Amino acid sequence: MSTTLRIALLAGLLALVSNLAVIGFIYYRTHDEAAATLRQQVMEQGKVLADVYRSGGRPALDGAIRDTMTYADPQTAVAIIGQDGGQVEGNLDAIPPSLLKSREGYRNALIRLRGQTTPHEAALTMHELAGGQWLVSGRIAGEGLAIRDTLERSLLIALVFAGLLGLLCGLILAHYVGRRIGSIARVADRISARDLTQRVPVSRADDAFDRLGRQINAMLDRISALMEELRLLTDSLAHDLRSPVSRLRSAAHAAAQASDPREQEELFGSVIRQADSLMRILTTVLEISRSEALTGRRQFAWFDVGELSNELTEMYDPLAEERSTTLVYDRPAWPVPLFGHRQLLAQAISNLIENALRYGASGGEIRVRVEPSERTIRVEVADRGPGIPPERRDEARRRFGRLDTSRSDEGAGLGLALAESIAHLHNGQLLLEDNRPGLLTVLVLPVHAERPPSSGAVQPEASAAI
Amino acid sequence: MGRKILLVEDDKETAAYLAKGLTQEGHSVEQAANGQDGLFRATDGSFDLIVLDRMLPVIDGLSVLKALRAAKIQTPVLILSALASVGDRIEGLECGSDDYLTKPFSFAELLARVNALLRRREARVDPAEHRLSVGDLEIDPLSRSVRRAGKKLDLKPREYLLLEYFARNEGRVVTRTMLLEQVWDYHFDPGTNVIDVHVSRLRRKLDEGFDKPLLHTVRGAGYMLAA
Repeated sequence: MSTTLRIALLAGLLALVSNLAVIGFIYYRTHDEAAATLRQQVMEQGKVLADVYRSGGRPALDGAIRDTMTYADPQTAVAIIGQDGGQVEGNLDAIPPSLLKSREGYRNALIRLRGQTTPHEAALTMHELAGGQWLVSGRIAGEGLAIRDTLERSLLIALVFAGLLGLLCGLILAHYVGRRIGSIARVADRISARDLTQRVPVSRADDAFDRLGRQINAMLDRISALMEELRLLTDSLAHDLRSPVSRLRSAAHAAAQASDPREQEELFGSVIRQADSLMRILTTVLEISRSEALTGRRQFAWFDVGELSNELTEMYDPLAEERSTTLVYDRPAWPVPLFGHRQLLAQAISNLIENALRYGASGGEIRVRVEPSERTIRVEVADRGPGIPPERRDEARRRFGRLDTSRSDEGAGLGLALAESIAHLHNGQLLLEDNRPGLLTVLVLPVHAERPPSSGAVQPEASAAI
Repeated sequence: MGRKILLVEDDKETAAYLAKGLTQEGHSVEQAANGQDGLFRATDGSFDLIVLDRMLPVIDGLSVLKALRAAKIQTPVLILSALASVGDRIEGLECGSDDYLTKPFSFAELLARVNALLRRREARVDPAEHRLSVGDLEIDPLSRSVRRAGKKLDLKPREYLLLEYFARNEGRVVTRTMLLEQVWDYHFDPGTNVIDVHVSRLRRKLDEGFDKPLLHTVRGAGYMLAA
């Protein structure tokens, strides 16, 4: 069964059930009250006549019947029916044949009173008299029951209409939903068929379907971006590994050919160094993917970024001196607690420092600064080197995005990419700015990476714990 | 000074290569090819060191390690792993291993770490080691003062830590990564020669003006402090 039909039937059924409940209630209330009143009147009247008969016998009953016919309201029916079914006395014009078969008790029947042209619905009681005769007394049901009849018929018709309308609404609804979902499903189909450029159409109504469509589109955008990044990465990995692998190969070849043992040893040493540097590149690429996949968050803990930056600056100070530059650390006045991955952030900050030492050392001073604000912490590394022009900054942070391709020394161009992915792991970002002159690299990190900065993280005795 | 080493490694070639190398160094090596066997052999506690591969059939290396530590067996464990990321190293260390070495590694690096771990075991056995001395070098860990041939050396705090670590591993090769991990507590691989720069600074203060150098470079492996 198609979804459309199922939704339509369900809507129809729901309309039917809810209308049935309402109609049933109305029917019950009207029927019940009118019928109860009538029944009570009729039973009382029958009882009075039966009592008269019991105490005064037939003559008294005859008198009472005459009195009733004379004085009671014209809706009252009273009669004595003989053994043959004929009326002995009373105001019934015709006796319904069904009455003849009846016995003691209360019932409804269609009767015609004397002087009336049409039969009416009436409530009657019957009481057996001596000699096989029957006392019949009752009342025409009148307006109450007549209305009830009409009502019953109308309600029944209404019910049918309600069911049909429900079915119709359901069909329309199902068709609409089906159409909206169908457009999303068609896009999904085409994407399964490897066309990632497809997007779900979004109307201006901004309803739930549009929101769903927009979310799916955003997801698709992210997926295509990741795919593109992955493709670039694979391409550049293949490309960039080509030269170290071929260097490794020729070194190994030369080592195998060398006759002098000392020379051979030298060459094998170079083979191992080349292999190590290849390994380092692969490890770093893996590290970047891991950071991007956010797997490192289990190891988050509180630590002092100020102290960490201080340690790292001290560690790189001798290296800076060797490259005739000075590494200056602007120590913040207070501890700067941060909830994050100490080892990975150490690596990110050291990458920034190494990057500055490698490309910005010519300009003299390199400054490291940790600047805490309420919810984020900026870790800045500023050099006075040539800097990176704004249009090439995106390229610089890409994996293997080494701008100066003429240099074949240390560094596979992964440093900034890794720093950025570590920033992402901490819900932060890596900024490349102009130091006027020089390059200013900044890690912007929320104080508590697992709680976004907007939530106003409270740090539990953070400064005391460090 | 032969020691008993348990080698738990499923790769036959690697295992044979390591066992041969360690035996040549005078250690007696017992081998296990899967985690279950390794755990079984290790539980008698008679080994001086366990070299444990992280990815093993039947029971993986970290589970073996956790089981050992849960059974209160404190034999030093060196983990070998192809998982090289910082997070993996930390996880390995947090599970109770004493050292973590990522594949591929040079045998020199492995040997240096094995010897350092065996040495640490010795030091634990002999607690009366207040002063460290290497030739005419004397180190007092309590006051952090260093003298060579009676002359006081003026070292910066990090230089002192570096020297103390060298002295505690006297006569043994110490690699650059060991220094970065033990002296600085960083587990990443720096892209520069930053460690060498620190060592050469220390060497200037330590050996300049003395006939006999104490801090030696071991080619292809690292450094060694020896008289």
